[in-house]
Amino acid sequence: MDQKNIRNFCIIAHIDHGKSTLADRILEMTDTVQQRDMKAQLLDDMDLERERGITIKLNAVQLSYHARDGKDYLFNLIDTPGHVDFAYEVSRSLAACEGAVLVVDATQGVQAQTLANTYLALDNDLEIIPVINKIDMNNAQPDVVKAEIENIIGLDCTGAPLISARTGLNVEQVLEKIVTDIPAPSGDPEAPLQALVFDSFYDPYRGVIALVRIRQGEIHVGDRIRFMATGAEYEITEAGIRNPKEVPVQTLGCGDVGWFAASIKSIRDVQVGDTVTLAARPAGAPLEGYRKLNPMVYCGLYPSDAKRYEDLHEALDKLQLNDASLQYEPETSQALGFGFRCGFLGLLHMDVVQERLEREYNLDLIATAPSVIYHVYLTDGTMIEIDNPARMPEASRILRVEEPYVKAELMVPDTYIGAVMDLCQNKRGIYKEMQVIDAGRNMLTYELPLSEIIFDFFDRLKSCSKGYASLDYELIGYRKEDLVRMDILLNGEPVDALSVIIHRSEAYARGSEITIRLKELIPKQQFEIPVQAAIGGKVIARTNIKSLRKNVLAKCHGGDISRKKKLLEKQKDGKKRMKAVGSVVIPQEAFMAVLSMDDDSRRK
Amino acid sequence: MTAAANRPQALYLHVPFCRTICYYCDFCHEVYRRETALAWLQAVKNQLEGTEIGPLKTIYIGGGTPTSLDPDLLDELLGLLDPYRRDTEEYTIEINPETLTDEKAELLRKHGVNRASLGFQTADETLLQELNRHHTPQDVEQAAACLRSHDIDNISLDLMYSLPGQTMASLQDSVHRALEIRPDHLSLYSLTVEPDTVFGRRGIEPLDEDTEADMYEWICRTLPAYGYEQYEISNFARCGRESRHNLVYWHYEDFIGISCGASGKEGNVRYDMPARLSAYLADPLARDELALSEEDMMFEMIMMGLRLKNGISEADFSRRFGIDLHDIYGEVISRMTARGLLTDDGGRLACTEAGFPLLNSVLVEFLPETENTLAPAAGEW
Repeated sequence: MDQKNIRNFCIIAHIDHGKSTLADRILEMTDTVQQRDMKAQLLDDMDLERERGITIKLNAVQLSYHARDGKDYLFNLIDTPGHVDFAYEVSRSLAACEGAVLVVDATQGVQAQTLANTYLALDNDLEIIPVINKIDMNNAQPDVVKAEIENIIGLDCTGAPLISARTGLNVEQVLEKIVTDIPAPSGDPEAPLQALVFDSFYDPYRGVIALVRIRQGEIHVGDRIRFMATGAEYEITEAGIRNPKEVPVQTLGCGDVGWFAASIKSIRDVQVGDTVTLAARPAGAPLEGYRKLNPMVYCGLYPSDAKRYEDLHEALDKLQLNDASLQYEPETSQALGFGFRCGFLGLLHMDVVQERLEREYNLDLIATAPSVIYHVYLTDGTMIEIDNPARMPEASRILRVEEPYVKAELMVPDTYIGAVMDLCQNKRGIYKEMQVIDAGRNMLTYELPLSEIIFDFFDRLKSCSKGYASLDYELIGYRKEDLVRMDILLNGEPVDALSVIIHRSEAYARGSEITIRLKELIPKQQFEIPVQAAIGGKVIARTNIKSLRKNVLAKCHGGDISRKKKLLEKQKDGKKRMKAVGSVVIPQEAFMAVLSMDDDSRRK
Repeated sequence: MTAAANRPQALYLHVPFCRTICYYCDFCHEVYRRETALAWLQAVKNQLEGTEIGPLKTIYIGGGTPTSLDPDLLDELLGLLDPYRRDTEEYTIEINPETLTDEKAELLRKHGVNRASLGFQTADETLLQELNRHHTPQDVEQAAACLRSHDIDNISLDLMYSLPGQTMASLQDSVHRALEIRPDHLSLYSLTVEPDTVFGRRGIEPLDEDTEADMYEWICRTLPAYGYEQYEISNFARCGRESRHNLVYWHYEDFIGISCGASGKEGNVRYDMPARLSAYLADPLARDELALSEEDMMFEMIMMGLRLKNGISEADFSRRFGIDLHDIYGEVISRMTARGLLTDDGGRLACTEAGFPLLNSVLVEFLPETENTLAPAAGEW
């Protein structure tokens, strides 16, 4: 195909605005996928993605479109994840395109991620085609939303297609716009190879498969290539496109989007954002924008049945093959036994990984409360990174502690400004500015500790704004704060998995809350159990779980044996789902107790 | 003849009829109708004829309300058991005070009944109404007198506590009123709200754990002072008046179960008779049998035996199972004795005073570990 008839584009949107549905319609209308093969949201091929309605891993599909001008065009559609955790992956998939279809929900208008993604697209010099979706809904306000896009983003919406991705209404207009508005890829087929890696996944038979956009030059099967960031070299064994089934080709030409395999065993060698070049004739410099992805949130994952540690290990190994951003290393907790400290890009990523482990690998997990990475400067002049509160050194060895801060942008309707500002203040937020976006809506900017964001911030934001506020954030660096480790002691014994690092000013309140919550969650036992919160050995909050006083069957005669025995077996099963720490038996929910304060605050 | 010697020496017969239904009761019961009772008697006759029964040491007729039967039917029922009572030492029948008449008392005596268990429940008449009991404390007193006049002088009273709305003072008053009847034996049961009862359906809740525990402590402290020794979790008796029949259960010995709602145990087989009267009438010999493993029986012996003040004889255990109790349960026993809930000396394993009210949590520790039933991990290898 002639380079000038290629169109590389992606679809960007706020979550649930209909991106994947539109992709499905486009696939259908270009006859790429036969109707009978059509599953709703075809690009989201993990069960979990389809169920949650979110896109986690990107996908690229090649389609051919016979346009009204009588010519055939080759479309490369790159699907992007819609969640803030995956912002970097979004930015790399945008970098593989010349244009973006911006989908905005006609009933919701511009949201925080609409803006964030649009800015990312503009940063990558993409041509943006605004599209108003869901116009078949009763409460659709296409004119209002168009005006919003023009005012807030400054995009001209004259002629913006008004579509229903669900029914297919006016989707053809989108296809025509892609032909007329998005430029063909530039690039010189004769130049040294520069191919951008925008995704990768592991195939058990062929090793890591890299998804690439050819910027300059060409890739041929048999070429020896080099990943410029990692330096790893391999020989290409196979190349191809997806439509969405794999179609092998001998050459990926300049401007193309496709995949290659090269018997790559380690996904670490294939970093998203890296540039692929030819070993024999390397490019002078890599493409811009490569960044190594680092986890922002850590938590401990333990099998609730200790015997399944190896199963968890295998499951993590397998998951990581497809998810280079997932990190883990073995750790031991005196309370929970053998498990792993796992690093994630964000909370959603953490949720998704946990859910996949439980669902696809049939594991029952206990997760500890998530933690960020603290920079702990010691009196001996060294700095250590702490991602597990239990590893925090003693106070006497610490010079200072720094924690990660983010710049958070919150899109908030007028009515909820007060509530959202209260929330941010309570979360140690530093107010930066408030921009009026349009009648009724504002963009609030705050600087917030990341630890506060991962601690129930989303839930609180949703509830205090009735779901109308949306959030986007990026890391802006580390700051010194008065942070301390708070331990939780049961029956006088510290439970390592319950330790948290918190701001000293919040310690007393949180300590009381956690001890009370544990008292509610831990069932009465044969003896009294003191529950204490302590900082450096000093108890700051205390309560008692009174001992069980009566747990006996009043009556048990000959006819009752079967039934009463079942009752005891049920009690035993209940106990089996708990963890014994010393002589105290703790239900799994208790380990999340430090997290679920929001329930309490809502109750109050 | 060894076979006969091994036959159960205890028999329980369930009478599934009541004149009215108590709101806390989930035993097999229906409102008494003469025609149904006639059909039922025939079924009992058939079951007895189809069952090998040797001479019995103890017989217990429970219910339901055995005395809800019309006198001629009661006569016939007791007549059915006459062939087996030559050696019977204890022959108990449960009685609701308001259904007892002089005529019925005489029938009981005639057929050898020598022990009566009377439902007293509480002296609080408002509570009695709430339980749907149709008698007064005076009725119980009169029933006891009536029985004694017919030489049935081994009298047990059933009381309930932790009833909704009951206070400690009300319980104390009930116990004192019950003691005035000078019973030989007292059973005090805390209310358990079973789902399939009027209380269960109404969502009635028993009292809180603390009040219930206070009441239990008071009972355990008070009754011995009046000469009633606690010999089981909920049972108190004057010396020598312990329920021999119920001791069969707690010693985990064999017993025969007759009629719907009854259960039996013979060796390593435990069986349940059909719960429904209609099923029993259709086939009085049908029963649900469960073969017990050695492990089941060891646990059940402990589950029943630890209910007794003097617990389990370790010699008896090793005689039955051919293994020392400590070889199986040594670890749990030392953990529970260390915690002060069990005592383990003089060749007996028993609950301490602190262990009694927590027996369930102790027994849970004795339950064998169940196998992990999780399916193997998903994935292609």
